[in-house]
Amino acid sequence: MNTQTSANAQPAHAHSSPGLWIMAWRRLRSDRLAMAALAVVALFLVTLLLSALGLVAKHWDAEVGVNYAPPTFMGAQSAEERGVEGMHAAEAPVPDNPRDPLGPVLKQLRAERDAAAAAGTGGGDAPLDYYGIVDPLAKEIAELRSTLGKDKAAAPVRRATLPFGADKWGHDIILKTIKGSETSITVGLAAALLATVLGTLFGALAGYYGKWTDDFFNWFYSVFTSIPYLLLILAVAAVLQQKGVLTIVLILGLTGWTGVFRLVRAEYIKHKNREYVMAADAIGASDMRKMFVHIFPNISHISFVQMSILTVAFIKSEVILSFLGFGVPVGVASWGSMLNEAQNELILGKWWQLTAASVAMAVLVTAFSLFTDALRDALDPKLK
Amino acid sequence: MSCRLFFRLCRALSLCLTLLCLCVWPLQQAQAADPEKILHAVFVAPENGFDPAISRDLYSAQVVQSIFETLYTYDYLARPAKLAPQTAEALPEITDGGKTYTIHLKKGIYFYPDPAFGGKRRELTMADYVYSFKRLLDPKLASPHSWLFEGKVVGFDELAAQAKKTGHFDYNAPVAGFELLDRYTLRVHLKHPDFNLGMILAHEPTSAVAHEVVEKYRDVAGQVMGHPVGTGAYYLAEWVRGSRIVLDANPGYRGFTWNFQAGSDPEDQAIVAAMKGKRMPQIGRVDIRVMVEDQSRWLSFIDKQVDLVELQGPLAPKALINGKLRPELAAQGIQLSRIIDPEISYNYWNMQDPVVGGLTKEKIALRRAIALAYNPQEEIAIVWNGEAVPLEYPIPPGIVGYDPDYRSSVHYNPRLANALLDQFGYKKGADGYRTLPDGKPLTITYSARADSNGRQQSEIWKKVYNSLGIRMKDNMMPFPDLLKAEKQCELMSRNSPWIADYPDADNFMQLFYGPNTHQNNNGCSQIPEYDALYAASQKLPDSPERNLLYHKMARVLEVYAPIRVGYARYRNMLAQPNVIGYKKHPILHCEWLYFDMKKEKK
Amino acid sequence: MAAYILRRLWQMLPTLLGVVVLVFLLFNWVGGDPAYILAGKMSNPAQIANIRKQLGIDESYWVQLWIFVKQIVTMDFGASWSTGETISHVLSTRLGPSLTVLVPLTILETLISIGLALGVAYVRGSLTDRMVMIACTVGMSISILVYIIVFQYVLAYKFGWFPVQGWGDSFSENLFHYALLPILIGLTVSIAPSLRLFRTFFLDEISQDYVRTARAKGLSEPRILWVHVLRNAAIPVVTYVMSNLPALLIGAFLIERFFSIPGIGREIILAVERSDFPVIKAITVYVAAATMLFNLLADLLYKAIDPRVQLK
Repeated sequence: MNTQTSANAQPAHAHSSPGLWIMAWRRLRSDRLAMAALAVVALFLVTLLLSALGLVAKHWDAEVGVNYAPPTFMGAQSAEERGVEGMHAAEAPVPDNPRDPLGPVLKQLRAERDAAAAAGTGGGDAPLDYYGIVDPLAKEIAELRSTLGKDKAAAPVRRATLPFGADKWGHDIILKTIKGSETSITVGLAAALLATVLGTLFGALAGYYGKWTDDFFNWFYSVFTSIPYLLLILAVAAVLQQKGVLTIVLILGLTGWTGVFRLVRAEYIKHKNREYVMAADAIGASDMRKMFVHIFPNISHISFVQMSILTVAFIKSEVILSFLGFGVPVGVASWGSMLNEAQNELILGKWWQLTAASVAMAVLVTAFSLFTDALRDALDPKLK
Repeated sequence: MSCRLFFRLCRALSLCLTLLCLCVWPLQQAQAADPEKILHAVFVAPENGFDPAISRDLYSAQVVQSIFETLYTYDYLARPAKLAPQTAEALPEITDGGKTYTIHLKKGIYFYPDPAFGGKRRELTMADYVYSFKRLLDPKLASPHSWLFEGKVVGFDELAAQAKKTGHFDYNAPVAGFELLDRYTLRVHLKHPDFNLGMILAHEPTSAVAHEVVEKYRDVAGQVMGHPVGTGAYYLAEWVRGSRIVLDANPGYRGFTWNFQAGSDPEDQAIVAAMKGKRMPQIGRVDIRVMVEDQSRWLSFIDKQVDLVELQGPLAPKALINGKLRPELAAQGIQLSRIIDPEISYNYWNMQDPVVGGLTKEKIALRRAIALAYNPQEEIAIVWNGEAVPLEYPIPPGIVGYDPDYRSSVHYNPRLANALLDQFGYKKGADGYRTLPDGKPLTITYSARADSNGRQQSEIWKKVYNSLGIRMKDNMMPFPDLLKAEKQCELMSRNSPWIADYPDADNFMQLFYGPNTHQNNNGCSQIPEYDALYAASQKLPDSPERNLLYHKMARVLEVYAPIRVGYARYRNMLAQPNVIGYKKHPILHCEWLYFDMKKEKK
Repeated sequence: MAAYILRRLWQMLPTLLGVVVLVFLLFNWVGGDPAYILAGKMSNPAQIANIRKQLGIDESYWVQLWIFVKQIVTMDFGASWSTGETISHVLSTRLGPSLTVLVPLTILETLISIGLALGVAYVRGSLTDRMVMIACTVGMSISILVYIIVFQYVLAYKFGWFPVQGWGDSFSENLFHYALLPILIGLTVSIAPSLRLFRTFFLDEISQDYVRTARAKGLSEPRILWVHVLRNAAIPVVTYVMSNLPALLIGAFLIERFFSIPGIGREIILAVERSDFPVIKAITVYVAAATMLFNLLADLLYKAIDPRVQLK
């Protein structure tokens, strides 16, 4: 993305800071912290790519461990300690009904059934029709039962510990975190891209055209910023209904464009009367061309920095959306869904999922933010 | 401003006067409740308000039951729940084959003094009950509990229909079915035989409210959510909405002597030994806080800020091990009262849906295959932390009509399920997913509430469908939307819970009755065989004949598979060592009228 | 001045109208149907129809919109559909607890952030500056949900330094007992971003000409920072704090839920869960109006701090 934008920026005009991006890159190169941060972000992006291509964590939802399998260094726990005993244990006792309401009719029916079972002529879990209920599938089921026989498939072996532990389903936490990072980062990036595109577009239109266009977008902007963000999110979520990763991108993107709009609009107002725009005007460039071919490359760094800031914000917002029940769909892992699942796990002493998701998120977000800071400083050196 | 101050002063003054009057009157019984015995309790969700006819959540119902009184209640210790008189003298005399009920009211029961009564002592009469019943059918109030009387009492529905036309409910108009023999005697005439009316009259929406109170405090919609005045053991002393509710013992309450019989349970016998002969109520103040988050509730209980707490599924392993209290908690004297809730959870498939519905053989095979591939034990273990019991049929333990010997013919058997689908032509495509027999794509949408339980249940069902090679789409919706779609038969499949309103099997079996579609037959099933059996069961009181019908109905549900019966959850109540004689009742919402505690050391 | 305020208030009208229409569309048109919740679990179609009639949601959208506008003009939003409590009572009782947490939080956050930001601006470019900034970035990278869960468990329960949760009747008990941990969590999540932001405000000012002039005049660096820079940077600081305040009212819902604080944020989540439109609509409109008023107030404060600012 970086190089692409700079390639576009170059031929557009010779006026202001032609090598903006190249110079910024040189400044960044000399900042060791920024490069370290960039390396971390790159590492996450590579993992994301591998995971998206199915090369890593493809089978994250395989139930490889026992439920709540602890990290290996802690050693295995008994089912009781894990607190999930009973799944395959005998049925929990059912309290007696002191009044046995059944008359002799049913007693006799039961006796007949038991006798039949003992004699091997029926009973057991064969469908009963003692009640006079006709089963339309009786024949098929009886045939299938006899061909399938009694033997049952062996239950797969599950590991008692995993390097980073397992969640309540027995999913490997490390794979789940990798898969989760794929979802969370993709959502963050896509939503930030959407919000930035919207904000830039609106800002460009408002700033460039001015007059009633500006009034309209300003009005739109103030309406959006006046409504509490949380309510806006809930309302948009209610409108979109359909669940999916795309919904989250839309919720965040449609509500998050306002900051970009404000900055981009101000820049367009500044730039539209500059000489180079006048010059473009003189050679008969259309409004669209002036807006996006001539002016945009000069302000693109603002959009880019904003997008980077929004990415971080949206990755964090996904957690809150999950808490509110508007998270990723079932069968998809994300850091938000992991943290919400882990909400009660800390108190149960199962800290590994909470830790894994928090640490992964903290590392990425920190690196991304540090890189964003450095990038902004590099692009806008007057701040230094 | 000063006007309001003056009004407040007047109110305070009149309250003082009333209280003074009350002191002058000879107290019938020495007040047993000790103001130093303060029970700290917790609500899991915020309450709505305390109008018996309107309150629709469990937590408001607990407060309603503390302040108001119904004609009947349930015995504190007897299991399954046993009806007992509350303000009535005795159990109803049922004549005319279940069509006529005669009920006598105890004399000398008085409402909690309120300015609405103009400083006079106000005795409870049968007319108050009739007035309260009428409120349930007032169209203006739109009570969620109108079903308790709809279509039952002679002349009652006609009055309601008239009110709908004129827009005004005439509370003075007589109802032929509510015959007042004198101040204290009511004879109810029913349209059809009904053996559950006694239990209906123990359900807290039928509590007695005084018309003076309603007339004085009602809002535009006619509700009195914020000013409950009843005859019960407690009154609302302080209320910070959604945060804190303080109930104080009603000094004018008639009281009673604790005298319940223990069954064979040693726990019961200990309770009887500790409580027998005490004047009730003993607890002088119930201080309830609302705490929404699991972690907050648990930490406050362990911190001893709370005396009584409901331990919900997610945190159960913290206090329980194999269904028993953890030894370290037991050593501290913490007590556990554990019951199976009178509820069921079942998965339904919409019988009107073109993909999963219908009574053709291939559709039946599809539903039965899914039912066979579902393992309730797994859902119980993972979603509910083991805090539920699988059910054999749609009637949970502890309910009248429950038969512990009934065995379902549906057992977890994924191999059979897959074979069944193969047999009926649901072939697997290249992508590993099955298609319909006609080759069209097969996708089943599973809907759930957009919360953490809903999400986990969806994951369980995703596993079930994956094991069959059927594509499942999850659909998590906010509760209001879910409810609307469900009542309009628009959902394809969902796991639906149902908790008893009254402890009779009828309350569960009606869930699958064809004519109840759009009401609470959520799967919209219309199976003629089932409907005929249900209609026959309605005409019978609890009896072996009725139970036989229930067995047949359960079998019909297994054979046609409009539903897959799941489980009933445990309710675990934890009490601090200072609580004496506590036992969770399956139907009664609040037990603080029946137990005691040690005084606070402060 | 008065003319300016009047004009600004007049300009708010179209925005408010936009908010009203948007809120109305989002909730009445596409939002859930409360009748199904209010009807209880044994509902039937006739009863649903009756409830819709009683609530007035069977009317045409135009009529409903008109009623909504009338409610706003008369400031009477009626009563909550689920509890029957009047909206004015809902707002007046829930505002107190919210403010008990938010006002001290905002004051502390602003003071601490300004202090720290001035400090790091003073040593700008040094290792300390970088370390503080990195620490802030790390602190900001953790979700508030994790902070709440861990702090409640560790600080309140394990160490017993704070009450686990709760809310009392007296103001002082709430402020000095129950609100402490919520405020601490609020500070943990909000100081880092404020500090970063304020630092850039200060750095912006430091590169201005007047600072160079002041230095040339021989003023001490602390004096330049504390008097000149702070005075000028106060403008963006004030705008930031003021414009954030109304949104905080709702944004604190997670804290309010975990610590059982009966505030506005918790109420709105509850209202959304219950499809309680009167509560949702009233809170939205009031918060929107408050946001606009606070923006105006911020502009007026500009003027007070810096007389050079021309109000247009």
